[in-house]
This record gives sequence, structure tokens and C-alpha cells, in this order.
Amino acid sequence: MKPGPFDYARPATVERAAALLAGSGFAKLLSGGQSLGPMLNLRLARPDLLVDLTHIASLKEIRETKDFLEIGACVTHANIEDGLVPDCTNGMLPSVASNIAYRAVRNRGTIGGSLSHADPAADWVSTLTVLDAEIVIRGAKGQRRVPMANYMLGTFEVALEEGEFLEAVRVPRFSKSARWGYYKFCRKAGEFAEAIGAVVRDPERGVCRAVMGATHSTPILVADATALIGQGFDAAAAGALLDRHEITDAYERQLHVEALRRATVQAGA
Amino acid sequence: MADGDIKEGKGVGARLIRKEDDRYMRGRGQYIADIKLPGMVEVAFHRSPLAHARLRGVTIPEEHRGSVFTAADMVGVKPMRAVSGLPGFKPSEQPAIVTEKVRHVGEPVAICFAEGRAEAEDIAASLIVDWEELPAVSDMLKGREPGAPLLHEHWGDNIFLESFVDGDIESIAKDAAIKVTREIRTARQCMAPIEGRGVVAWWDNRLNQLTLYSACQMPHIIRTGLCGCLGLDHAQVRIIAPDVGGGFGYKGILLAEEVACGWLAMKIGRPVRWIEDRREALTAAANCREHHYFITGYAAADGTLLALEAEATVDSGAYSAYPFSACLEAAQVASILPGPYDFKAYRCRTYSVATNKCPILPYRGVARTGVCLAMELILDGIAVEAGIEPYEVRLKALVPPEKMPFDNITKKHFDSGDYPECLKRAVAAIDVPAVRARQKRGEPDGRLIGLGMSIFCEQGSHGTSVYAGWGIPMVPGHEQAQARMTPDGGLEIRVGVQSHGQGLETTLAQVANEVLGIDPAKIQVVHGDTGMTPYSTGTWGSRCMVMAGGAVATACKELGKRLGRIGAKLLQTDVANVKIGNGEVVGPSGSVSIAEIARVWYLRPQDLPADVDPGGIEVTAGYKPQRDSGTFSYAAHAVVVAVDPVTGGVEILDYVVVEDGGVLVNPMIVDGQVYGGVAQGIGTALLEEMPFDAAGQPLASTLADYLLPGSTDVPSIRILHMETPSPYTEFGQKGIGESGAIGPPAAIVNAINDAIRPLGAEINQVPATPRRVVEAIAAAARAKKVA
Amino acid sequence: MEKLTLTVNGKKVSAEVQPRTHLADFLREQVVLTGTHIGCEHGVCGACTLLIDGQPARSCITFAIACEGADVTTIEGLDDDEVMVQLRTAFSREHALQCGYCTPGMLAMARDIVRRLPNADEQRIRLELSGNLCRCTGYVGIVGAIRSVLEARKGTAAVPLPEKLGPVGSQGLASETVTADVKHEPKPIPPEAFAPTKIAPGPDLPMGKPATVINQSFTVHRPRPEVWAQFGDIASTATCMPGAKLSKPPEGGHVEAEIRIKFGPIVAQFQGELDVERDDAQFRGVAHGRGRDDRQGALVRAEVTYALAEVEGGAATRVDVTVGFTLAGPLAQFSRSGLVNDFASRLTAEFARNLEARMAGGSEAILPAEELSTVSLFFSVVWGRVKRLFARS
Repeated sequence: MKPGPFDYARPATVERAAALLAGSGFAKLLSGGQSLGPMLNLRLARPDLLVDLTHIASLKEIRETKDFLEIGACVTHANIEDGLVPDCTNGMLPSVASNIAYRAVRNRGTIGGSLSHADPAADWVSTLTVLDAEIVIRGAKGQRRVPMANYMLGTFEVALEEGEFLEAVRVPRFSKSARWGYYKFCRKAGEFAEAIGAVVRDPERGVCRAVMGATHSTPILVADATALIGQGFDAAAAGALLDRHEITDAYERQLHVEALRRATVQAGA
Repeated sequence: MADGDIKEGKGVGARLIRKEDDRYMRGRGQYIADIKLPGMVEVAFHRSPLAHARLRGVTIPEEHRGSVFTAADMVGVKPMRAVSGLPGFKPSEQPAIVTEKVRHVGEPVAICFAEGRAEAEDIAASLIVDWEELPAVSDMLKGREPGAPLLHEHWGDNIFLESFVDGDIESIAKDAAIKVTREIRTARQCMAPIEGRGVVAWWDNRLNQLTLYSACQMPHIIRTGLCGCLGLDHAQVRIIAPDVGGGFGYKGILLAEEVACGWLAMKIGRPVRWIEDRREALTAAANCREHHYFITGYAAADGTLLALEAEATVDSGAYSAYPFSACLEAAQVASILPGPYDFKAYRCRTYSVATNKCPILPYRGVARTGVCLAMELILDGIAVEAGIEPYEVRLKALVPPEKMPFDNITKKHFDSGDYPECLKRAVAAIDVPAVRARQKRGEPDGRLIGLGMSIFCEQGSHGTSVYAGWGIPMVPGHEQAQARMTPDGGLEIRVGVQSHGQGLETTLAQVANEVLGIDPAKIQVVHGDTGMTPYSTGTWGSRCMVMAGGAVATACKELGKRLGRIGAKLLQTDVANVKIGNGEVVGPSGSVSIAEIARVWYLRPQDLPADVDPGGIEVTAGYKPQRDSGTFSYAAHAVVVAVDPVTGGVEILDYVVVEDGGVLVNPMIVDGQVYGGVAQGIGTALLEEMPFDAAGQPLASTLADYLLPGSTDVPSIRILHMETPSPYTEFGQKGIGESGAIGPPAAIVNAINDAIRPLGAEINQVPATPRRVVEAIAAAARAKKVA
Repeated sequence: MEKLTLTVNGKKVSAEVQPRTHLADFLREQVVLTGTHIGCEHGVCGACTLLIDGQPARSCITFAIACEGADVTTIEGLDDDEVMVQLRTAFSREHALQCGYCTPGMLAMARDIVRRLPNADEQRIRLELSGNLCRCTGYVGIVGAIRSVLEARKGTAAVPLPEKLGPVGSQGLASETVTADVKHEPKPIPPEAFAPTKIAPGPDLPMGKPATVINQSFTVHRPRPEVWAQFGDIASTATCMPGAKLSKPPEGGHVEAEIRIKFGPIVAQFQGELDVERDDAQFRGVAHGRGRDDRQGALVRAEVTYALAEVEGGAATRVDVTVGFTLAGPLAQFSRSGLVNDFASRLTAEFARNLEARMAGGSEAILPAEELSTVSLFFSVVWGRVKRLFARS
């Protein structure tokens, strides 16, 4: 189970990375490689060029403003778990990070890699959606930003144009009184989630968001979840959301609703 | 000696630290993939993507001609055949490389080689194969129906073997107050040792011999099978099983890849290496344990088991794998279903069905895991009907100790044991009243508590009479062992069985120590090499400690006699006056160490008188227990689970095993076997499943699809020991290696059902996945609404 | 081949490697350190776990070339490590290993737990170990051994965590030494021998139910005969499938075509043939297709049925499309079928949208028949959302 042949590039800057990407037939970006590596070994992915972003210093940096925290694409789950990344979410980011796969995977797996791969079951997909994060995108023409809710389009599909890549994520700062909840169901510790419920309640900022994730596609976002979770958890409303997204399997529906309910309870709603 | 006590010393009964650990912990084990020979090439196979199709042609790109061989090139290579002598058995022919028709996904279509594995895979991927797809049999019950697609057309159906055991059920059924019927299913499993299989092969011109390293459990049988396929004499084939990373039965069959790689090494005159990758292991290699039962138990109103009637179907896959054959599971089902229960009437019909899936082989516990599930679910059903505790139903039916030795309804000969006592200890250890009280209280998190049990026996080390009746290519006879002194006083033990985690390098040394008193540190156990060890059927059927252990003891005793005769000469006394033990020969007026005897024999023969026994101090001896019908170890498993009725999640809160394996040679290693077996049984119960689509496509090719139990899925298992010696074996030991894997599915499913029964729900299938649990609860809720 | 320099067990190693060689293979085959074992090569079993820059990582899904300048420690390099000495004694005493195959990875992880989490209880140990599979021991001895070492070291502080951000293995190079050069010629996917007849069903054999079935319905504001005529133009209809193009002009109901599909990092290019049967009386058609992608080792069998029904008093036509397909080969061998269904649904949705557009406004409304791209998918998602909007009302 060895990969097919590919070339390898190790750019030092994001500009060079963008140029390499633009000039290639079928290039794939390599970050920690914890999702891409298996697909390469299985020969499901057969790029002819691998552009390794992990040696670009700027992608391993963090930036803080009073409104948000910007995390470089190549920051690892373990970095976030260990508190090397300042937390602006009252503990949500490190808590989610510490339950992604396994420590040996988290030491190389990156937040940018996970979001670029866009597996619906990935923790960051649901988490950054509920956090209303912004995705900072780099291309040959420079930088642009899109909200996470518009970034993921479907399984393995994101709103990156040809030649673009994910440079960083911006996570809005919680106010002190903000509460969160996050609950995922896995058949086994560390394996793919079957359902994720995520909730952020931050009345000071006027935020009340909820997400049902680990569907077979993009996470289901309720940007104003006041009605859904404001007066206790409205299971019927959650069920109606699943109807709208054509999730018909009874078992899956039950898991999604329950995950959101448990996240809601954790968020103190 | 009380049950479970640990003996002093380093012989039988000692909890001796394992001799093999150090090399493994320092990364110095030598596994198949660690072997690298000069000039070696790497092999990859082009494998069938289809389950059932005719092969019309293979196009090899010009640049790769010479690096690819197909069946057309392998002139004279014979297919693998495992015929059973059971009446009505239909044999199959399994080619090493597909000839005309492919019968399961993953069958090798071409063997490709290159300097590196990646390049070999490049070549394999460059071939274009011309297929004519055929409808597939992906479900064993459909495969039994008339008009189903045929795997082996000339059979006329898809039945390898149908068997029937008849009994007068009717006369009992008419008066039975309780009748419990269930349809029970088990999933197809992959054995999944962490190391897969692999082959390194090269032709030794000096010895005119094919040397083939294989990650296998039974090198001598592989040698015999390989000789048959390749048309070589046994003298021309040497099989070496190096350090092997787990087996569990998975490494107990002759592989197409062994035949193909052996042929390739001869063809190209270079060493070749094929290392099975995980995708190959999951999708293209042997499977196990897919059973289906229609089963009915009849009982009196008080819950006394009266009769059992079953129809069992086993999905045997596409071919009869060498040497165990395609009917190894179904044929055993019929004979072992009654287990340790004593009742009046039994009827069982079994089918071994050919399907478009990988062949099956004997996974740890073999048929017993499914059988135990079926039987124990029925007994719990009877308990519910009778309104008594499930363990009470079992106590009524278990064979009492005073009936030992006991021939059960299928003429299985139980050697010894106290089954009711075993169950009672489990009942006490799990604390049934406390669990019932907790159930009444309810859980704050809404989960439901359930208690489940199973009790079963494990026939192990069964020998000639059992296998001769079965008539497969491999019938075990006397197990042989060699005991050789070295000039420095070391003892070399050579056995034909193979150790791949069981710790035989330690435990067989303990046996030798028990007889001769030589320190295990000075004893080397040599195994896994047909060039260095006596012929043996190998490691399977929980037989090593009984058979090889007995053989080592026999050889050591004979060696001891010879050492005694030499020692007597050195001590200038008659042999009748000496005794051997503690590493020395002791006479009336002094002693001489075994090491000194060996030194004199080899290096200072001039010190020996002319009339010394010339037999030498290398001994090969054969051994059979007094009866070869097998040892019966047994165990009771008791488990408490918490079931989340919303998510279907099952957490194991407590797990108790009461185990009787007779005399334990190394209690630490026995515990390890039980722990590991239980973990695998938990996998069977809750996680492991190889699904297929209607076209026979396997739908799990990674360990993210095929879930193995991890450290959070297995609880801290509690083991309690009983120690009833077998009257027939050397030290009273019994085979116990598979036992742990047999009981968990039954105990866990019974526990889940105990938890969800108040909701009117029941599950009769493994793995009991969260989805299945939720769906069972939902079905019960729907049924309630309708009612 | 690329030049690679890194430190292995304290020694500098320079070698030529293929970019595709993962670290485990590099260490085993080129540095001849075989203590690192390979169990799954997709990052699940943990057998290959070793230390990169002092931290545990999976060497089977880390490419050697990505570890330029890194500090790698294998089990062979930990012979004299203080924690490892304690762990070895405990592992042996607690019978924490049987076949020994998972042991090097298990020890690497155990060492990390002992150093990083000095206060870990049993539950935490089990959670931290859950990425390392052992098939022999049931984990009882392993957990016991780690507990005993933690107990023996009680009071020892946690070892400080790494301070640098980014994946382990990526920190050894000073930024000025990172090379941007690459020898890379973009290669088109090689054209394959077109072999439409090379997967064929036997004569008149029922092949069983398709593994995946997707239903889509949409309404076209044209009368049924007109829509029926459009469906009769096979070339025009077939190319409404995103990424599809005809290999040659259709002959009767027989079409030879190829379709290129991009599903995240997976690109498949199926070549195949399609036979269409139409029932003019019932306004129903069935197309049977077969295709293959030899690069992926994949085969596909598909059955597309469409039925036209009059709606709005005959002014409009509802089209019900059912796509059933069965994949064979590695692409099919995964349990998360929901993901493929999501993708196939979007593909079918876009086919429907293209067909609608073609009938509404002619060919210029159709997206170019390139591979199914992000852009076209975006539209399919929008289309899906629009549909849901209607479904709501």
C-alpha cells in the first residue's frame, strides 16, 4: 500500500506556494498529512505534485487582536490542546483539539489541513462553523476571507478557487460570560464522529449559534438558535432541521438530535 | 495446592517472566518484513476488483513484460485443494493465480515484481484486465436457494456440505411447557493480527531447496501443501516462520501468495518478498465466523432444558482452504452446539455454503463463538419464560461434576470439571443481587443496566480420532519434540509447533525445567523451522501446551534417563542408584551436574568407560495424551453493561471470567491468553464486521472501517481460576488459548437484552452496534404502538 | 529521488529518497532500523509510532522527505532512556506484550503518557492509548504496566511540552534554508487504452440490486413530448452529466463516453459505454452503463431510469430520475457510504439542473463539460438549497 509517484516541493513562503500551485497540473497541498497521507498510501489520491506547506514560517504563527485570534494553517491540534495557542473561547478550542483522533496524530495534524480536507466528520469543520470563524484564503492574487459557513460546500469540497489555499482561520473572541457545548458520538475513541452537536451562547456579543455536524455533508448551522435552544432544547425543531436537510435515516436523526441536546445542556441552556 | 496459587521455582506452575520479551521491547524481533536478502525483489499482486467474473485476458504494458506473470505462465502448478472425508463434501480447486474465473474480490490475477514495493504496485496498477462480470452470491441464505448463481458450476448448487444429526425432538416438544425460537446472526470477521502475512522466498542452489519464510503458524503443513502445489519433494522445501506478529488462526492456511512467491523465486532465480498490506488483509484474505441460526429450545415449566433443535448455516466463502477445509465451522457447529449441557433430545442440520467471499479459516474459538451465542441466547429466553434468573436455568442443565468424565449428547467426551461451581463463582463475583438492585434504582443518566452470562467449554488439543473422522488433509498424530544437550550444559528444545505470542519459548522451557531442573535461562526453544524441528501440524486448536508440552516432557524424561546412565558411570554407581533433578544427577555418594555430563559426553569422551550407553544426549520423542478426544477447559463469563437507549452505545462496566484450564503451566501467560481472547470477543460482540454489497464487494478496507477493540473498549477484566486437572494429559494441563474469545458475544448480548427487555426490545445479532441497538428499541416501540 | 538529511537516534543520516517513501519505510529499508513496525499504513493502528522531535507521531503517514532537518528517535534509540528502562521492566512483569508486534509503538506512546501526564488515572491512560491497537493482550497488562511506572515516578513533574508551533518534523529547518526549488513537469493523466467492451455482463444475467440508488425529481416547463424528444437526443442528454464527454458519436442507443470526477483529493476517470432503451408509450427510458478507471482499479455498473409525467395540465413535465450504481475495486471498499451518496446526489442534482437548463435555454446554458469542478459543485449545492427551500414550503 504505497503511494503512486509524485514530485515534492517545499516552498519557504506563501507566495511561492501559490505560484507552485498555480503552475501545476494536479498538485495537492501537504500540511501534517494525517488525512492526505492515508489517501495517498491507498492510492485514492494520486497528485503529481505535493506542495509541503509545513516549512513556511508564517503558517505556523498566531496573531491576536481584540476581536479575534488568527491561527496559521499549519498550527497543530496538539499545539491548541497544549495551550501553545492562546485561547479566546473559554476553553472550547483546547477541549475540542484534545479529542481529535490520537495524540500521535495531533502532533502532526493541522487545523488548516483538516479544514482543507473538509471531511464532514472532522471536529474543526463543526467547531469553526459554530464559532463563526473566518477562513483566510491565499491565492496568486493575494488574500481573501470567507465565513466558515460559506467555505465548506460538501464532502471534501470547499470554496477554494483553482490555485488557492487556506492560510489561516480567524476565531472571534468570546466574551467572559460566553458558554459553549460540544458533544460528539464516535463508535470508538478517536475515530470518525457519527454525530456532532455544537453550541455557543454569548449574549454579550448577541451570539447564539448551534450546529449539527458529522452529517454526510456540510454541517447544519443555525445562526440564530435562540428559538432552538433559548428556552430549553427544542427537539422537534431540531428534527425539522434534519427534514430540511433530507436526513431521513432514523438512527442518524436520533444521534444528531441527541448530540445537539447534550451540547446544549453543556452550554448551560 | 489451592486454585490459582502460584508455584515457587521455574517449572510448571511458575509465573515466569517471558524469555522472548526483551528482544521485542528493544525492537529486535525479526518479523517477516524485517528479512532482507541480497538481490531481493518486492512483489505486488494485481487483484480482482470483482467478486464473480470470467477472466478473458490480461494486457501487460510492453515495458513491464518480464516483471509480470499470470496463471498461463505457471505451467504445472497445481491448485490448492482441501478435501473433507465427510460424506457428500464437494471439493473446490483454488488456483494460486486466477485461471478462468474469479470467485472473490482480491483473488490474485497476476504477480508483479520490482526493486521496491511501490514500483511493484505501479506495475500491478498498469495492467488492464478484460472481465466478464457474473452475478454474485453475497448472502449465504440466498446462496442456498435454487437458481442462485453458481460458484462451482459442476456442483449444481452452492453447498460444500450438508450435515444432519437427528434426534426425537417431537416426543419432547409436545409436552414442553416452554418453547423458545430465535433467528441469530453473526457478522463476517477478519482476524486482523496487527502484523499481516508475508513471504520471503529464495532458491538455494547448494541444497537444491526452496527456502520460504512465511508469517505462519504451521510451517510443516505449509511445506506439505506447498510441495503438493509446486510438485517438489519435501526435501526441496524448507519453511521458516520467523517472529510472527499474532496469528489467532489467520496464519493457519496455505496461501495463494505462498505458492505464487515460491514459484516466482524459482522462476527468476532471485529472492522475492511479499508483505501483505492492511487492504489485502481486510479485503483479499481469509475471513471467519459468519453464521446464521434458526434455533429452538424446549424446556419444562421450571426452566429445565429438554431439547434443542437447530438449523445452522455457515458462509464458507469461495474455496475450501487448505488444510482445514470449508466445512470446519459448520461440521463443528453440529457437534458442539449442546456444549456442557445435559439434555434429552437434539437435532441439528448444518449447511456450509459457498459464496463469493474470501475462504474461511479457523479463527480463535472457531465455531464455538457463534455456537455459544446461539445456545446462551436460547437459555436466556427460557429463563424469561420460566421467570427465573438466567443462571438458574443453566445450573439446572449443566453437567454435574459427579457425572465426569461425561459423554454428552453428541458423544463429546468431557474429561473433567465442575461446571456448576464455575458458574456459581461467576454469579458471586459479579454480585447478581447488587446488579438487580442497581437496575431497580435506575441510572441518573438514563442508561439501562444489564447483566449477562455465558458458560461454555473449549475442546482443545483434539487429536487423531477426531480429525481422522473429519478426513481433512491434516490429521495430527503423536506430537514430537527433540531435546538436545549442548556441550556447555545448555538444553535445546526443538518443536514443530510455532509460537507467535503464546510465549512457548518460556513455557516449554518451564516444562523442561520441571523434568530436568535445568534453569530456563539455559534452555533454548527452537520452533518455526522445518529444517530444524520435527514434523508437526503446528499451532492451532489450543494444543501446544498439551501436545508440545507433553512431547517436551516425554523427550526430557528420556533424555534424563540417558543423562542418568552417563551420570551413573561418572559417579561409579549403578543407574538404579541415581536420580535426576535440579540440573544434576544425584547418586548415593555425590552428584554430577547435567552440564558436566554434557561436557564429558561431547568434549571429554575419553573420561567415559567403554560400556557407556551409546544412545547420545539428543532425544526425539513422540507424545499423545491417554485419550485423544481432547481436553475440555471451560469458563463462565459474567458482564454488566450500561446501554444508552438513545444512542445505542454499550459500555462494559464489569467483566468477570471464571476459568478452569486444568493445571496452568504459567498462570501469567494463561491470564494473558484469557484477557486477549476476551478483548477479541468484545470485538465480535460490539465492533467487528466485514460488510458486503450485493455484488460481493467488501466494504471495509481500512481499520477505520473495520473497527478493532481499543484500550477504551476493553474493561479491566477480572479473572478467577479453578484448577481441575485433566486426567489424560502430562501435567493435568488443558488447552485454553481460545477460551477467552468464545464467551463474550453471548454474555454481552444477553446483558444488552437484559437491559433493553423492559422496553420490549431484543437483539439477536452481532456485532450489537449502536445502530442495531437503537433499531431494536425502535422496532419494539413500533410493535407496542400497533398492539 | 530527493536528498534528505535528518537525525536518526542521535546520528546524522543523509540519503536519497523518493518523495513517496514514508518515514517508516525509509527507516526500515534504507536506514535498516526494523524496530518500527508497519501495521496499517493509514494511521489507525499505531504500530509505527515513533518520536519526531521528541514527540510521538505516525511514521506511516509522515513522508520521510517532509522530515528534512528533523530529529527522529526509534525504539532502537531508546535502549538507555530512563523512562523506557522502567517501562520495559514493567511491561515484562505485567505481561504487557505477547507477539511483540505492536510493542515498539505501544512503548513510544506509553513513554509519552508517563512523561506528559504524570497524574494520569486508568481512564486517562486508556484514552491516551486508544490510538495504539494491540490484538493480543486485551490491554490489561499494558495499562497495568503504565500505571505501575507512573506510581513509581510519583512526584516527578511533567516533562515540558514543545514550544514551537507546527507539525513535529517541520521545525528543524531554518527558514532561509527551505528550498523552493522543485523539479516538476506537470503531467497530464496518461490516456488509457479505450476499452469499453472490457467489462461486460454475461448474457441476460440479473446482476442484483445496485449498491447505491439515488432518486431526483425536477420539473421542466415544457410539454412532455418536447421533453421526451430532448431525452431522445442521447448525445445532448449524456453531456448534461458533469464531467462527461462522448468518445465518439452515438450509434442508435449505444454511446461510448468518459466521465471525469473529482471527489476531494480523489480523481477518477471512467471510460465506458451506455445503452439506452426507450419506451415511447410509457415515456420511460432506461440506460445501462458500464465503465472502468484502470488507474484507480475501479469498475462501475450503472442503471439510470427516467420517467416523464405530465403536470400543470400538460404545460409542464416532471422528470423522475433514478440513478443506481455499483462500484467495484478500492474506491468502493469503505464503510462511510454516506459520503459517496452525498457526492453522487450532488452529481445527479447537477445533471438534472443541466438538463433543465438545456431544455429551457439551449446548450449555451450548460456548464462546460469539464471535470466536475468546485465551481459546478457550488451551483449544485445552491440548487440543492433551492430545492430544500421549496421542500420547506
